Amino acid sequence: MPRPTELGPFRRPCATRRPAGGLVQRSTSVESEAARPLLARHEFLIRRLHSLTGLIPVGAYMCIHLATNASILAGPATFQDNVDRIHSLGPALPFVEWTCILLPIIFHAVVGVAIIRTGLPNTGAYPYEANVRYTLQRATAWIAFFFIGWHVFHMHGWVTLPHWREQVARTGLGAQFDPEHASSSVHEALASLWVTIFYLIGVGACVFHFANGLWTMGITWGAWTSPAAQRRAGRVCLAIGILVMALGTAALVGVWQVNARTARRLEDARLQWKHLLAEPPALVPATPGESPGENAERGGVSARAMSREASAGDGAATGATAAAGPVDARELGGGEGRYK
Amino acid sequence: MIASDHTIRPAPLAPAGQQSELPHTFVVRVLRQDGPGEPSYWQRFRVTRERDMNVISVLQQIAAQAQTEDGQPVAPVAWECNCLEEVCGACTMLVNGRVRQACTALVDKLLAEQPGEIELRPMTKFPVVRDLVVNRQRLFRALMRVKAWIPVDGYYHLGPGPKMSPADQQRAYPLSQCMSCGCCLEACPQYLKIELTRREGESDEEFARREQQAYDRGFVGAHAISQAMLFNTHPTGRMQAAQRIEALMQEGGIQVCGNAQNCVAVCPKNIPLTTSIAHAGRAATLHALKKWFDW
Ligand code: HEM
Ligand code: SF4
Ligand code: SF4
Ligand code: FES
Repeated sequence: MPRPTELGPFRRPCATRRPAGGLVQRSTSVESEAARPLLARHEFLIRRLHSLTGLIPVGAYMCIHLATNASILAGPATFQDNVDRIHSLGPALPFVEWTCILLPIIFHAVVGVAIIRTGLPNTGAYPYEANVRYTLQRATAWIAFFFIGWHVFHMHGWVTLPHWREQVARTGLGAQFDPEHASSSVHEALASLWVTIFYLIGVGACVFHFANGLWTMGITWGAWTSPAAQRRAGRVCLAIGILVMALGTAALVGVWQVNARTARRLEDARLQWKHLLAEPPALVPATPGESPGENAERGGVSARAMSREASAGDGAATGATAAAGPVDARELGGGEGRYK
Repeated sequence: MIASDHTIRPAPLAPAGQQSELPHTFVVRVLRQDGPGEPSYWQRFRVTRERDMNVISVLQQIAAQAQTEDGQPVAPVAWECNCLEEVCGACTMLVNGRVRQACTALVDKLLAEQPGEIELRPMTKFPVVRDLVVNRQRLFRALMRVKAWIPVDGYYHLGPGPKMSPADQQRAYPLSQCMSCGCCLEACPQYLKIELTRREGESDEEFARREQQAYDRGFVGAHAISQAMLFNTHPTGRMQAAQRIEALMQEGGIQVCGNAQNCVAVCPKNIPLTTSIAHAGRAATLHALKKWFDW
């Protein structure tokens, strides 16, 4: 004797699948309006916020993130410059990361999992193209869920508390990205072919999810309505997806192409500059008439100029180190201990 | 005069050559259920092929023979039908795993697609009443939720209504063809079965109230969204447009749709359901903004 079935959005407790395609669920009593769960009462708002966060900020962030990462193709210096620009936020960075990126992703992911649980994919009986994408949207959501969770741990270590980071970094599993050694640290983090393949799958799933999500979003909000318009929008979303995937692939190719030794020398030289600039003005080889502030800016410029030589080859890199001053970069380098 | 002849009379098979590869008899597998909440079970029937047979005539033959393939006497299989021309939707069921109307499911075509056997099952998203008969009350309840009608009642003659532009007529006509068959709901991955069983000592009224409440919290479904759009297109119906959109924004409303677009793919009336869904989505977006900013 089947148990009573009764369903409400966002509510599918102890669901078991029946061959008939329905769901068995415990029944509830007649409820008053106020007793309805908050999620049910604000279902429309929550679903629209979920849809919106998929694009802004999560989707937009992913595109910028992959584009920044793809800049590693232009050499370790360009990449380091881009990373420096992000890290110039300094102590505000964790705050921005949490409010603009992590919390929206967590919101989208948690609501997304709740949404997945309200559906019963049926591509077996109805193998239509749009239905396959509906199912893939959910499959890629799960991949994105675990990939992003692991990726943030692998590169970032989840939280930036110094003590925790040290613990994590020492295990060699997480917090692998070192913003002071951007190129060489990602190169090392992705040195394994398996890790790279895992990244390729994860990025692929996220990009499909984003591109297809863009298309469904247009229907959800009513931007494209007729079948012809939806077809055309589908082609645009496909093009966007291919472009973003190209960025992601370029980033991975770029990471593999990095010459770790050259990159490390360059990054150390740059660090040395930073240390020199942080010293009292007397020690800075200042050009007459320039204020320390301008010198600080020059630091960045010089690093870039040096890198142009650095990417040319090992000999040039030695030149770059020499240009940085008489002190050996490796003796100065902060955050270097991990690699010794 | 058109002879209306729906009696069961074995017609001679089509001339040999054209259909010679089709067998004289074939097996029909039916998923049966004796009553609401009862367990379901399969039974096989052997049916003699007749000319131009549809699944309804198959079921008529099964009812007439009332015995399974191995000769066991059984109660006739129960099913529903009315119009026999795909306009009432009563005969909707799963034929070879796909939801469709039994009256327009032609046996020769089915056997050509899948030789030897035809499989019949009741729809999976509605409570089974008996065998192939399901209770589609929730489908009609959804039409009430979205006020899928035009209120024209009054104590005095209101005069002629506003004119409808030919463009609006063109848009509305396809939507008006919905026959409430439920195919769109059966195929929808976001539309899940709601089936309640009566509690110990629960009165008819209590049970009906509980059932209605459960239905009202479930997904309205593509047909109701499309009907709301139909009546929002109508010049008189448009006067309640905001109420219909508001209803679509309640729990189980338009937001539950996951854009799988199965509904439009299976609708036997080719109703542009996903266009209606997108229009309703746009109307809901604007309605929400209007409410939020007090426009
Ligand atoms: C972390 C795990 C994630 C989960 C569990 C998840 C889950 C989901 C689900 C279930 C949907 C379908 C919603 C619907 O059909 O109404 C969806 C839509 C969407 N997701 Fe995600 N998602 C995740 C990550 C992401 C990421 C990283 C992005 C951006 C790159 C993203 C962007 C989108 C977009 C743009 C939509 C379309 C919204 C709409 O159809 O209205 N999601 N997500
Ligand atoms: S919209 Fe189409 S599939 Fe849905 S009930 Fe109406 S006629 Fe049937
Ligand atoms: S488009 Fe929406 S209503 Fe239609 S089948 Fe898909 S989820 Fe269901
Ligand atoms: S009997 Fe009316 S649709 Fe089949």
